[in-house]
Amino acid sequence: MLALVDGKDTRFDPNLFSIYSYKRLSELWALGNPFAWHLSLESRLVFASDDVDFINRLGMPSPYRNCVNDCAKFYSLFLEARESLMRDKRSMVFDLSTIFLSIRNLATCYSLGISGRPDFSRHSAIRLPNGAAVQISPDAYATIERARILTIRGCGDPIQETDADRIVPELKIIERWMIDLVERAKLHGHT
Amino acid sequence: MGTHEFNNRIEAQRTILKVVNTQAWETEQLISLSRNAIDRWVRANRLDADECLVRLLLDASAGLFFLANRSQEQVSDEYVIKSHRIADICREIENELTATRWRVCS
Repeated sequence: MLALVDGKDTRFDPNLFSIYSYKRLSELWALGNPFAWHLSLESRLVFASDDVDFINRLGMPSPYRNCVNDCAKFYSLFLEARESLMRDKRSMVFDLSTIFLSIRNLATCYSLGISGRPDFSRHSAIRLPNGAAVQISPDAYATIERARILTIRGCGDPIQETDADRIVPELKIIERWMIDLVERAKLHGHT
Repeated sequence: MGTHEFNNRIEAQRTILKVVNTQAWETEQLISLSRNAIDRWVRANRLDADECLVRLLLDASAGLFFLANRSQEQVSDEYVIKSHRIADICREIENELTATRWRVCS
């Protein structure tokens, strides 16, 4: 649930709401940020104290022009998480969660910038069309998704080192998939 | 918008987690700095929510939330101060864990 506020507003618990200022949201619109596109295409107003649908009034966001840079950023995020995971297990669940985040966000940016079929869902990476979906085992995918939920919501069964060990062979597959999508984005002519 | 700011916030969080989890916890490691994850860790390890360590982690959590949602106009003194504050908190957590171990051992 998203809450839009004008300056500091203590009515909303940041653990329950994503809280953005009107100004910040307008900036994201001007940047053509994927989050702005997500809100523009898929959100709906639940309540406005002044009855104004602010997001509707913003119209469509600017064109999304940062696809290659964003994909490269999430590839870099993946590399950092993998390096950390292989070094030691002190942030193991967080690293698995970050791997899931990097996969999902890269796929979402690609779907918005390249595929022409934006997919903002949690499962965008396994739903990309035209052979672009990530090909990792359902078991590995379920584990990193569980890690993501654990780190955000704090609920779910703990993840064991043996679970993480089963992800390791899949990391090469994920890396190749990411490199391929970044290259496809470059060929598409995005920056 | 700074492309690497997002990755830097993830790295800051990871650094703090590695410091905290250098210590072997009774039941579960700390898995992230979300409020829900901190609450889970406090409950699982039967920690006192008023402990200095827990308060420092909640401070870091709030600071990272601020950095994630700041306006571009705030890439200024307040942003820099908050970034430095998170680095300070990391050092304070390290000191707190060292001090606690020392108290246990003495």
